[in-house]
Amino acid sequence: MIDEAILKNWFFTEIFPLDAALTRFIRRNWRNEADVADLRQDIYARVYASASERLPLQAKPFLYITARNHLINCAKRAKIVSFEHIADLDSLGFPHDAITPDRQLTAREELYRAQEGLDRLPPRCREVVMLRKIEGLSTRETSERLGVGIDTIEQQLVHGMRALVDFMLGGSGKIRRKAAKPRVSIKRNL
Amino acid sequence: MKSALSREHTATAWLLRREEEGWSAGDHALLEAWLNADPRNRVAFYRMQFGWQKADRLAALREPVVPVRADSARTWWRRRGFGPAFAIAASLALGAVIVWHLGVFERHTYTTSVGGRSEVPLSDGTKIELNTDTRLRAEVNANSRTVWLENGEAYFDVAHDATRPFVVHGGTRNITVLGTKFSVRRDGDRVDVVVLEGRVRVDDLSPSPQPTVVITRGDIAVSQGAALKITHSEEHAVDELSWRQGMLTFNEMTLVDAAAEFNRYNHKQLVVVDPRAAAVHIGGSFDATNVEAFVRLLKQGFGLTVEDEGNVIRISR
Repeated sequence: MIDEAILKNWFFTEIFPLDAALTRFIRRNWRNEADVADLRQDIYARVYASASERLPLQAKPFLYITARNHLINCAKRAKIVSFEHIADLDSLGFPHDAITPDRQLTAREELYRAQEGLDRLPPRCREVVMLRKIEGLSTRETSERLGVGIDTIEQQLVHGMRALVDFMLGGSGKIRRKAAKPRVSIKRNL
Repeated sequence: MKSALSREHTATAWLLRREEEGWSAGDHALLEAWLNADPRNRVAFYRMQFGWQKADRLAALREPVVPVRADSARTWWRRRGFGPAFAIAASLALGAVIVWHLGVFERHTYTTSVGGRSEVPLSDGTKIELNTDTRLRAEVNANSRTVWLENGEAYFDVAHDATRPFVVHGGTRNITVLGTKFSVRRDGDRVDVVVLEGRVRVDDLSPSPQPTVVITRGDIAVSQGAALKITHSEEHAVDELSWRQGMLTFNEMTLVDAAAEFNRYNHKQLVVVDPRAAAVHIGGSFDATNVEAFVRLLKQGFGLTVEDEGNVIRISR
């Protein structure tokens, strides 16, 4: 078994920098956009499970093979993709550039990106994230400063953090509400 | 397909709570249980942490002056910070009163010798690790917790207690803890602060004080006289604290600085007599008290000339 700290470090240095590329790869080879986040998470979980036995020598091909096999399995199981589509995936063989990492951003570019991600947040969310990240306030201090309940601050922070992280990793940076929420509102409508 | 997003939501809430004051061992155990329950939980948590750390760049936008609200307890401490003599006098008076009435007054002096290291627990649950050649005094009473770092270096793992502020006095700087793990090193008027977790506030006590700064995880603040430099690197912050494992970690440090580091831990002193040798850059981890091994590396790895004269080792090219 690989030590957890080493495994985590490997994910941070070798795997997660490929996050945007992996997301693009899934999107290109899967029709239903709504499945992308699930597929990505499953792929990471598979990579984690294998890597905890033995660290792969090369992260990129390993991530690609895991992703490709997972997509093929899901397609076969769900029968939601045409056979040609699977055949396409099979015929991809082993192209080196199937998962092409983005250029590493410099510190300055990363700051600009973070600022752009902040700008995309709704005003209230942006404010709590800024108080957290820039001024270093705790949830309680933010709650006192803004005169808003701690639970509300925490909710806003969670939404803001997720959207900002999504943007930092190459996504659209849009807020995604918890899946459970619409169900509640439907009940209320009845 | 809701599972990935709701898992991401939960992971984010954990990440957030772990950064908060008052994160306890029980909370940690709960988080570990959640992470172990499903590898998807773990990868969601790691991914969120990875992206959130990237957004740390935003700290560059931090203004040097921390806004202070008139109604908060922090203001009080800040004011006290500007009058150190008053503060000490006040805490002594307070201490005396408490001894008189309650008998709960604790004040101790702790020291280590050259090459020594020791861990001391305070009565509030705080742990202090003293590095080589260090002398500090600690006082814990019902209202405050105060440490005077007279010389050397110490690492603090501060027990959370909002009712009793934890302040470290180091020369011209006051370090007020806002729930955290950090180290302070004092060498004459130079004070270095390295933050491993949480946040600390550094107040300048000199007659013409610099603005107060708040530094967070991965920040390294070096102050000398009026100058204050803050850099951010979690990797360097961890390296700076490798003395806690008895190691010295150099990241492309010049030999003259590396030698000065070794000299803190050993009676046998390294002297670099040749400017060309002094400029050699050293990287890696070394046993702090095994100066012989380091010298061997200089000889074999760098081709430097080493003359062992008993108490002094002279290094030249």
